[in-house]
Amino acid sequence: MVDATNTQKVKSKQHSAEAMTQEGFSLFPFFIEIASLFLFIIHFFKEALRPPYEFNEFLRQCYLIGYKSFSLVGITGFIMGLVLTIQSRPTLAIFGAESWLPAMVAISIIREIGPVITAVICAGKVGSSIGAELASMKVTEQIDAMEVSGINPFNYIVVTRVLACTFMVPLLTVFADAIGLMGAFAGVNIKGDTSFSLFFFQVFNALKFTDIFPAFIKSFFFGQAVGMIGCYKGYNCNEGTEGVGKAANSAVVMASLSIFIIDMIAVQITSFFL
Amino acid sequence: MKNDTGNKIKLGIFITAASLLFLLSIYFIGTRQHLFHRTLLVSGIFRDASGLMEGNNVRFLGLNVGVIESISILSDSTVKVDMQLDEGVQKFIKKDAQAIISSEGLMGNKTIRLTPGDTGTVIKDGDVIATVKPADMDMIMSKLNTTATNAAVITNDVAAITHNIRAGKGSVGKLFSDTVFADNLDQTLVNLKYGMKGFSDNMEAAKHSVLLKGAYKRMKKEQRVEKREERKEVKEEKKEEKKEDKK
Repeated sequence: MVDATNTQKVKSKQHSAEAMTQEGFSLFPFFIEIASLFLFIIHFFKEALRPPYEFNEFLRQCYLIGYKSFSLVGITGFIMGLVLTIQSRPTLAIFGAESWLPAMVAISIIREIGPVITAVICAGKVGSSIGAELASMKVTEQIDAMEVSGINPFNYIVVTRVLACTFMVPLLTVFADAIGLMGAFAGVNIKGDTSFSLFFFQVFNALKFTDIFPAFIKSFFFGQAVGMIGCYKGYNCNEGTEGVGKAANSAVVMASLSIFIIDMIAVQITSFFL
Repeated sequence: MKNDTGNKIKLGIFITAASLLFLLSIYFIGTRQHLFHRTLLVSGIFRDASGLMEGNNVRFLGLNVGVIESISILSDSTVKVDMQLDEGVQKFIKKDAQAIISSEGLMGNKTIRLTPGDTGTVIKDGDVIATVKPADMDMIMSKLNTTATNAAVITNDVAAITHNIRAGKGSVGKLFSDTVFADNLDQTLVNLKYGMKGFSDNMEAAKHSVLLKGAYKRMKKEQRVEKREERKEVKEEKKEEKKEDKK
């Protein structure tokens, strides 16, 4: 009896190894995924430009995605500003350049930390919820029911969510930047004594339009990536409750990764033009 | 339905606040770059831009009054730097003002420093002002190098001298290290002391000798007469003062 189970185990191992060599290392699923995501994006732009425009649903999604994420983004932004300032102080103190702390922290927050942290938090909060919501709608056949009742489900569900993400993430980034700078002000004053007006002057003296605009523009792309990937994963999930969890999980992972990839491309483009 | 309206109001406030923050940040950055002020364009032609960049500050009396608009190469040895100045400082900067490239501390950005100038006429839009060649870091370093070489020669000499002193060479060395020399010096000082005392006694004896007695007496008399005259003068001055007080 024991021998029989052992041989079964060995057989199953061999079988899985064969499967790995045949399918596991193949890049086909990856390319298929890329192609279907590309088609999904094209479908999105086609539907986004075609009426009817679901304006009320868009506003509702803006409220859920933007307003409801504000507290989370705000707290994170404040902590990031505070921590970055405290961590940077010793290095600057070695060079006797502590007075450069506000300028350095401001540039870091506005250029990089604000947009990326906001986008990653939105990927975690909004991307997962969109993925799970759409996946459960798909699993419970609500999307099919919409089609039957004459509503364009793609326009109503996907376009509104992606657009809401695209417009809300930049606004959340602006708040994260502002609150992050307040955190930096608190951080500067933990060990030093800098008045608010001096801090304000140093921050805006260091910033330029070339710091603000590229960061603001890339946050639109971050938002779109979060919404698009969340919707794509939810809309194309496998049947069954397992698919819902998988969709939510892979939406977060893929959205976070794509944020960093977009960030890398944005930095290259910015440094090429400026 | 009510709840939906409330959410829309919250969303409206959220969007307005974010937009305001963004616009305010643009305004403040623009103000720093003198975008919302009336400006005048002034140029300076330098031999060397010394790492100056577009957007660097222009300072006048230690205040930021403008930014560098553009930098272009005119010929193989001249660079033209266009500066956008705040119109408010136009009346203080004269035609013979000078532009000097300087930097904000050792590690700071480069800036252009303007001197006010002396003539009565003020600068106008499009004027070209005189420039002063900035202190070249390489030149400073080469001068420092010469100074350091000289200092090395001096310290070598000092080291040789102190070495000689420590070895007891020369009179100063002997003074410090040779005990016999020190004893001799001590004895010499003692002898000198006795010698001086003897000389003093001799002089005292000479005062009472027949040959010099008359001369000493004359000297004493003259001294007494001088003292009396001084006293008289003082008394007269006091009397005059009293008279003036009474008047």
